[in-house]
Amino acid sequence: MAAPLLTIGERTEEEPAAPSLELSNDLAEFRSAAGVAEMVRLAGEVLGDPTFPVARAWKRAGGRSVATFPVYTPQELIHALGMLPVTVQGGGENLEITHADALLGSFLCSISKSTLEMALTGRLDAFEGFVFPYICDVSRNLEGIFARSLPGKMTHMLHLPQNFGSAATLPFLIAEYRRLLAKLERVAGRAYDPEHLRASLATFNRQRRLVGELADLRRERPADLSLVEMYLLTRLGSTLPRELHIELLERALAELTARHRKPRDALRVVVVGPFCEQPTLDLLSLLEESGCAVVGEEFQMLSRWYGDVPSEGDPLENLARAYLEAPVDIGVRATPTTKEAGILARVERTGAQGVLFLTAKFCEPALEDVVLYRRALEKRNIPYLQMEFEERSTTYEQARLQLETFVESQLFD
Amino acid sequence: MTGAAGAAPPREGDFLDSGRELQRRLVEEYYRGLAEAGGPQRPVAYMLVGGNLTEIVRSFGYEVVFPEIVALNCAIKHRSLENILHAEAMGYGLDVCGYVKNDLGLQDLGGSTPFGRIPRPDLLVCSFSGCYVYVKWWEALAESYGAPMFTYDVPYLREEVPYKEDIQYMVAQLWEFVHQLEKRTGRAFDMEELKRVLRETRRAEEGWARYLRAGRLRPSPIEAYFEAIFYMFPINVLRGTAQAADFYDVVNAEVERRVREGNLPLPEEKVRVLVEGVPPYTNYRTFWDFFRKWGAVSVVATYPKVGGLFDRGFLHDPARPFESIAEYSLGAYVNQSWTLRRKLIQEYLREYSVDAVVIHGIKSCRSFTAGQGDLRDWLIHDQGVPTLYIESDHQDPRYFAPAQIKNRMDAFFESLDQRRTTKAPATEVAA
Ligand code: SF4
Ligand code: SF4
Repeated sequence: MAAPLLTIGERTEEEPAAPSLELSNDLAEFRSAAGVAEMVRLAGEVLGDPTFPVARAWKRAGGRSVATFPVYTPQELIHALGMLPVTVQGGGENLEITHADALLGSFLCSISKSTLEMALTGRLDAFEGFVFPYICDVSRNLEGIFARSLPGKMTHMLHLPQNFGSAATLPFLIAEYRRLLAKLERVAGRAYDPEHLRASLATFNRQRRLVGELADLRRERPADLSLVEMYLLTRLGSTLPRELHIELLERALAELTARHRKPRDALRVVVVGPFCEQPTLDLLSLLEESGCAVVGEEFQMLSRWYGDVPSEGDPLENLARAYLEAPVDIGVRATPTTKEAGILARVERTGAQGVLFLTAKFCEPALEDVVLYRRALEKRNIPYLQMEFEERSTTYEQARLQLETFVESQLFD
Repeated sequence: MTGAAGAAPPREGDFLDSGRELQRRLVEEYYRGLAEAGGPQRPVAYMLVGGNLTEIVRSFGYEVVFPEIVALNCAIKHRSLENILHAEAMGYGLDVCGYVKNDLGLQDLGGSTPFGRIPRPDLLVCSFSGCYVYVKWWEALAESYGAPMFTYDVPYLREEVPYKEDIQYMVAQLWEFVHQLEKRTGRAFDMEELKRVLRETRRAEEGWARYLRAGRLRPSPIEAYFEAIFYMFPINVLRGTAQAADFYDVVNAEVERRVREGNLPLPEEKVRVLVEGVPPYTNYRTFWDFFRKWGAVSVVATYPKVGGLFDRGFLHDPARPFESIAEYSLGAYVNQSWTLRRKLIQEYLREYSVDAVVIHGIKSCRSFTAGQGDLRDWLIHDQGVPTLYIESDHQDPRYFAPAQIKNRMDAFFESLDQRRTTKAPATEVAA
């Protein structure tokens, strides 16, 4: 006989762990952050806390927030209804999994387990609703488990279309967004207003432009902004009120423009694979310590899925069109060209000298793409390294060795 | 997923009778036909079982290959591992779906199987219904063969009554597909011919649903998992042909005879089981024996519904050809949300007087499996039904641990046996 499972609705006595970080209701800590270093430190703390301190502060201040699972959800819709959209991108390295394993099955990625674990242990209580986009079967199925586990909360599985060649896809996606909107309206307690969506599009456009500037800066002067700094500054935008994130990025960019650190010799690589589950910060640091300059990656695709979304005309249609027309080529949407053409274009665009496949363990979409990508790179003699990671990895000796060997073999060939 | 254990060798003395022989012939004929297909005269379309467009494609003269079914037939013949190992050598990881590896390995090795040569595709039709891996798999085939690919995007079913926008979306895609096929083949689309084929489709679906519903009888004259999977071949592969429809007439006549003559799946039906999940095709008979030993008969199962939920009214309708194709594609079992899957299972528990549930989780299939632990929890705690969860793989024999699975099943059925004598509450036998 198996040990009794956690009965849904009953929370265990010992959970959740006391929230580690309490922010002020108006998130003044961020406004008063003195500079990039302080912002990065705050971001590290906030993003490393699986009880979502920003969403809790927002709730205390009377706001409502809705969580979205990676990779893509049009968070503009949540924002347009006056709510805080937050990407729940795993529980990080410190979350202990005690209940989710039994409910999900063994051979699944860590992010699915940590997300469910957080739900079962009250860590997601700050959220009024959850959106799971159809990026893979795991994310899709999680919605149904959440619907049972958190019966009082709104849940929604957003079907992201895969036929990009049909004239009928746009009207379908608009209808799909309307269905999501109908649920969000109930959570928000107010009706959708296209004017508000127009304003949200403008806010998100501004945020995406700044994130793009940050990425450009890093690509051009990798020494002036470490990978971890860029990652944290960008990811902060998936949890902070977007207006506040914009303020921070403007200040950060002003400071960074004046930074001039000595460049070091490094192998320019594109990192492919971690579009959903995220590597630990230690692993990101290790990439640089081992001599990789990451000039392209997939960490926070939501914040750069498309460029500016126009606000003239029907904003909902514009948002749907932006998703469909974006030439994004990652594991969780049908390739706009071929996998071969996709990877070669990325290498060329970034001037990369090699590709680093960083695939989350058990992430089938990433694992399947790797084979086609590798074949394409081998044909052109472009070097690559493939490594698996988990959001809860703690030892890196093997990874360090692999990385250093890879870099050395290329740089000192 | 999929299903059609076309080539499972039945044993002497089985309750399977005329259906089994007919099925064997149909399978042989199908593969013989395929071996001669390919090229402009008899072009080949590859298709997935879930939400497939067989009727439309065949009406343009295509032969249809279902790589999932080829893969499972390889597994039954104990030929999956060599293909899987080859795919792993090509770079496919341990955690990639066994069907994908079996198929891509087989293709790379030249497509030769114990039941004939599998021709190369001239067209790839990806019915994205119920499994995201479908998209990845078909992209890999498209790049290997340079064959054109059409993606038929089937929205996930989240409400019992399909959204009208979803139907409109799918119908529009079907028309686009038809126009593409017209251009590609130079043949005009014949709606009347499609309606004729759909009449045969409907006849087969009704026969199949009638057969499945026989599991409601007590004792059940059918084995609704192991036998039904065996009989999925015509409904999944030959749908739209008169042979498929006739096949279920033969099978249903046989089932009626079984009732009359008392020739039942087991001499004594001790436990009426609902089975959820894809079977371990590599050890099909062994797994079945683990049930039989305890007098356990599957009276209803979810897996035979992966090709369509015909017993719940998702039927093709010649009077509404494209709309009904769209509805059918939406309703395939794993294209339904967990909320709907739970509801369906709840209804089955009642309608089929189920005593216990066995869930077979597949390590390399997230679509079916992710959340089956939660289903087990729901069955035990919310429904009060004794439930066993076991795990192996549908394609990879390395994951089937017979001794361990047998021990768990023995413990489960033994405790059920004890419960029957002591009337203990359901949850206490949650192995
Ligand atoms: S890590 Fe991969 S498999 Fe897991 S939820 Fe994300 S996309 Fe899906
Ligand atoms: S992952 Fe599951 S549903 Fe998808 S093709 Fe493989 S076995 Fe079928």
